[in-house]
Amino acid sequence: MTFLDYISGVPAYLEREWSDLLELTFEHLLVVLVTIVLATVIALGLGLATYRNQSGARAVLTVTGTFLTVPSFALFGLFIPIFGLGAVPTVVALVLYALLPIARNTITGLRSIDPAVVESAQGMGLSRRQRLLRVELPLAWPIIMTGVRVSTLMIVGIAAIAAIVNGPGLGGPIFQGLSAIGTQRGFNLAFSGTLFVAVLALLLDGVLGMLSKLTTSKGL
Amino acid sequence: MPAHEQETATAASIRLESLTKRYAGQAEPAVDNITMDIPAGEIVVLVGPSGCGKTTSLKMINRIIEPTSGRIFIDGEDVTHVNADQLRRRIGYVIQQIGLFPHMTIAENIGMVPRLLGWNRARISERVDELLDLVGMEPSAYRARYPKELSGGQRQRVGVARAMSADPPLLLMDEPFGAIDPITRERLQNEFLRLQSNIRKTIVFVTHDIDEAIKLGDRIAILTKGSKIAQYDTPEAILTAPANDFVADFIGSGASLKRLSLSRVRDVELNQWAVGRLDDDRAQLRQSLTESDHGSLLLLDEDQRPVRWVTGHDLTRSGESLDRVGLPATATVEPHATLHDALNEMVTSRVGCAIVVDDQRRYQGIVDMRTVMRAIDEMRESSQARDRHAAVQPMEAG
Ligand SMILES: Nc1ncnc2c1ncn2[C@@H]1O[C@H](COP(=O)(O)OP(=O)(O)O)[C@@H](O)[C@H]1O
Ligand SMILES: [Mg+2]
Repeated sequence: MTFLDYISGVPAYLEREWSDLLELTFEHLLVVLVTIVLATVIALGLGLATYRNQSGARAVLTVTGTFLTVPSFALFGLFIPIFGLGAVPTVVALVLYALLPIARNTITGLRSIDPAVVESAQGMGLSRRQRLLRVELPLAWPIIMTGVRVSTLMIVGIAAIAAIVNGPGLGGPIFQGLSAIGTQRGFNLAFSGTLFVAVLALLLDGVLGMLSKLTTSKGL
Repeated sequence: MPAHEQETATAASIRLESLTKRYAGQAEPAVDNITMDIPAGEIVVLVGPSGCGKTTSLKMINRIIEPTSGRIFIDGEDVTHVNADQLRRRIGYVIQQIGLFPHMTIAENIGMVPRLLGWNRARISERVDELLDLVGMEPSAYRARYPKELSGGQRQRVGVARAMSADPPLLLMDEPFGAIDPITRERLQNEFLRLQSNIRKTIVFVTHDIDEAIKLGDRIAILTKGSKIAQYDTPEAILTAPANDFVADFIGSGASLKRLSLSRVRDVELNQWAVGRLDDDRAQLRQSLTESDHGSLLLLDEDQRPVRWVTGHDLTRSGESLDRVGLPATATVEPHATLHDALNEMVTSRVGCAIVVDDQRRYQGIVDMRTVMRAIDEMRESSQARDRHAAVQPMEAG
């Protein structure tokens, strides 16, 4: 059978399994959203705590960078003894992967602000906290949001691998399909799983892009 | 805020007492034991070579830099250890790079400190408009713009407006015109002086440019390395009697030419030039020109604004409309400009004089070489009189 033969079988499959696939996509989306919200909170905190401190910032970037170098199979597997199977180890592992882009962009964004702007804020009597909330974060925001978008794209893909710890989402059909590769059913499963992952990634990126634009000052 | 409230707002006096700053890892202190009294309502300029400690001295007043030792008094109150954020809300601060908030509109930038102080919206918005007017920017046109949409000179004006937003009795300015092109800088300096003649704040102004110091300062402190005061006096006294070789060197050559910066156009008697109106009859204009002893006529528009210089020959060229013949009437100065500015304009003008206009650009008169020479003569006489007086004094004492 050629690739085209396989493809021609997909539409009928999609029609049959449409609602199941949507449900899995929704699960996938949920995992990604929870991951990104948690990762953003943590990475933003790490970034804010260390951006003015050379060695602190370097430590954060090194550690979060190291998470990214661990193969995802291994990382998911490592958490089984601690968290068992299912959604919890999935989200924990994914959060670790999502930290670096957000933390790095938070630090870069906050550091790229013109020192004169911060000094004038200080000179006007804005407290440390007011400077951060009213001046520094809004100015670094577009760069931080870019980090969030990069993490999101990455996590939508990696979340599929969570199926090996029985994680929720579109990894399920993809892995089943891969284990039955060479059959039409195997192809249907793997192909539609991948297709939905890709579409979800594009949609999320579009939504985040819009969100970033809406929440960034027109003066920047 | 109503205008009268602003006029009555007090200016603050400052006293620096044995103020010292030692940066970590540096052998010599950047500011070494400076003691200085700054009277209320005056512009005091700190001037000196690069690296002598001007910026450090200035930033210790609002404690952006914390002093290593010494004390700072504002209006007699020791502020060396008070809450720095609250202290700074009472002190306007303008730096060379200005540092407008790029993500906020001009109105939000100017309204920042009033917002921190908890003013209500209506009062803030009224204050923003008042300040934009004060620095010569049409509020309706600029309120909603962002800093990136302004020119360098306009950003500088907004920076000054923002520093004055909560009507602080004290302004600190660190080379505020340093990054601006010379022509705009001169205009901003003149506007700044006009502004100060209305608001009468205490202003501590840092520059490395002695000409700027002479032009703007009521008093000048010439600083050497470690922010040591070489001389602290009025510009007149510094120019006529430099305290030591360092000051004399720093003033440089041409001290008498620099003294032209001490006289303002509004203080000298203006000459009048033969003028006509753009819409006057040409025969009538030729008549006025012949009756005057000038070689050309200055044409004004219907609002009395200078437009063209025309000669008798230009007036006979019937084909051209009057606003196309002759030379454009450039080289204008405002009453706040110094004679030094006027002299500058004069030498660029082909007619050899500077046209004096008011702040609406309406014609007031002209300044020419004779005016300048007369001013120089007067200054020479008064300084000779002072020298004679100084020479007589010790004998009387003895
Ligand atoms: N943050 C700093 N850390 C260490 N040294 C500094 C710092 N700021 C200024 N200096 C040093 O202190 C001296 C005075 O600097 P500054 O006050 O900026 O002078 P000025 O404004 O007159 O040019 C200089 O020798 C400068 O190198
Ligand atoms: Mg400096």
